[in-house]
Amino acid sequence: MANIIKATDLTLAYDRGKNEIIKNANFSIKKGEFVFITGPSGSGKSTLLKSFYGHLKPAGGSMIVGGVELSGVSTSKLQELRTHMGMVFQDYKLINEWTVAKNVVLPLMIAGYSLDVQQTQAQRLLRHVKLTEYGNKHPFELSGGEQQRVGIARALAKNPMLILADEPTGNLDEYSSNVIWDLMENACGQLETTVVVVTHRIPTIFSLPYRHFIIENKGVYEVH
Amino acid sequence: MKFIKDHIMFILPLVAILLGIEFFLVFDRMTASYEQRLREGYSMLVVSNEPVTLQELQSINKNIGQSTKIEKDEILKEISLGQKPEDIKEIINTLPSFYTIKLAKYLDTSDLDKLQKDLSANKKIKRVETFGSSYSSNYKLFSFIKFILKVFIVFMSVVSLFLVIKQMEVWGYVHRERMQVMEIFGAPVMLRSGILFKVAIVDAFIATAIIVSIFLYFRYQLAEIMELDILVNNSQLLFQPIDALILLFCAIVIVVISVYMVVFSSREKEA
Ligand SMILES: Nc1ncnc2c1ncn2[C@@H]1O[C@H](COP(=O)(O)OP(=O)(O)O)[C@@H](O)[C@H]1O
Ligand SMILES: [Mg+2]
Repeated sequence: MANIIKATDLTLAYDRGKNEIIKNANFSIKKGEFVFITGPSGSGKSTLLKSFYGHLKPAGGSMIVGGVELSGVSTSKLQELRTHMGMVFQDYKLINEWTVAKNVVLPLMIAGYSLDVQQTQAQRLLRHVKLTEYGNKHPFELSGGEQQRVGIARALAKNPMLILADEPTGNLDEYSSNVIWDLMENACGQLETTVVVVTHRIPTIFSLPYRHFIIENKGVYEVH
Repeated sequence: MKFIKDHIMFILPLVAILLGIEFFLVFDRMTASYEQRLREGYSMLVVSNEPVTLQELQSINKNIGQSTKIEKDEILKEISLGQKPEDIKEIINTLPSFYTIKLAKYLDTSDLDKLQKDLSANKKIKRVETFGSSYSSNYKLFSFIKFILKVFIVFMSVVSLFLVIKQMEVWGYVHRERMQVMEIFGAPVMLRSGILFKVAIVDAFIATAIIVSIFLYFRYQLAEIMELDILVNNSQLLFQPIDALILLFCAIVIVVISVYMVVFSSREKEA
């Protein structure tokens, strides 16, 4: 199957290249895969994930995501690419002054869908994450687990080709975490979305043989 | 409540800037009309040995705007009563030409002195007389007030501009989170900042409307109530329809620049 992410001699750095976090990494992720990336705290997991959606551009080498070379990509091309991705964050990054329903359909709003479509899709998505009654509430009125379900619903809104999650259960108890993992596995299994999860520890509920990369000494290696 | 407070904090300094601009416009018009009246009230009488044209006068000093010859017939009528026709001819030949002169633009005292000297120095011209003695003393006070007012307006506008930017920074914090999340999901600049632009442009209209109403009130009500003759007689100086457009234009330029400052300071930084 085709690669959705391909890194070749990838180097990622902060402070205009002075602070290298990833150096000469080579790896690829295929369409429809569910992949874990782990590593100790401060090893560069979030940095690597940020580079997948172009928040951090390669300081060296090449990174191709969804057929787009991100090294030197234009702003408009990057914006277009991001509309085919769904991002999930440890701190949820929901917009508190908006209702839950409006948060969920942000990707549809960006894509210019009509309010009608947005409303029906909001209902469908909230049903999917079992928050049907919460549409008119605001994110700050929800528990952490519920907020992250909103985050997942938003990531799924436009049937993205790729979901990127950075420690999505980092702030959640075990029960809420399992709900989130279920939703992510389901997205990959049923919707054929590629899911890349960055986490410092692989949750024990995962028994399936998912691929797993680890960041060590600025390199990215597959664990077998 | 917070929403209203945010707006007032933005509209007030904007109103202050527009007030300054409108004052400036009004004062500029008043200055122009005052200078015109001074200019028109001032006249100079030139007596010359032989006829001089306006072109000749203007080549002596370019600040001369207009010259009117005083017809000799008028003068003759007065002095020729009972004289013989040959004598009248003689008088006509020896009688010098008289001209009244108007200025081309408003002149300060030193320019006036120079004009007088230039004319007197010319061989053809015998005498130069001026009328309108209060000219310079009035005008000195006037230019002083003009200067003070300009300094005040500039000072007020600068302070207000800082307040506008300060309030925009507050908005920046309020909207930053939303704009960054939208950017992560691929929203273009216009969509991310659309709400901010809408709010700011509405505020620009509100601020303009406030100033326009105040000055319309001045123009049609206050000047009469307070029996300010100068203003009642020249109420068209206080507010003109074009002012509304100038103010709206300035307000929109200010808010658009401010919004752009907020939008660009909230863009995701690539560390
Ligand atoms: N915006 C930034 N500017 C400079 N250095 C950063 C920035 N973000 C992260 N870092 C540094 O990069 C390293 C990796 O950070 P991060 O990717 O967040 O690690 P992880 O997610 O694995 O805990 C850390 O040393 C961190 O201090
Ligand atoms: Mg991290």
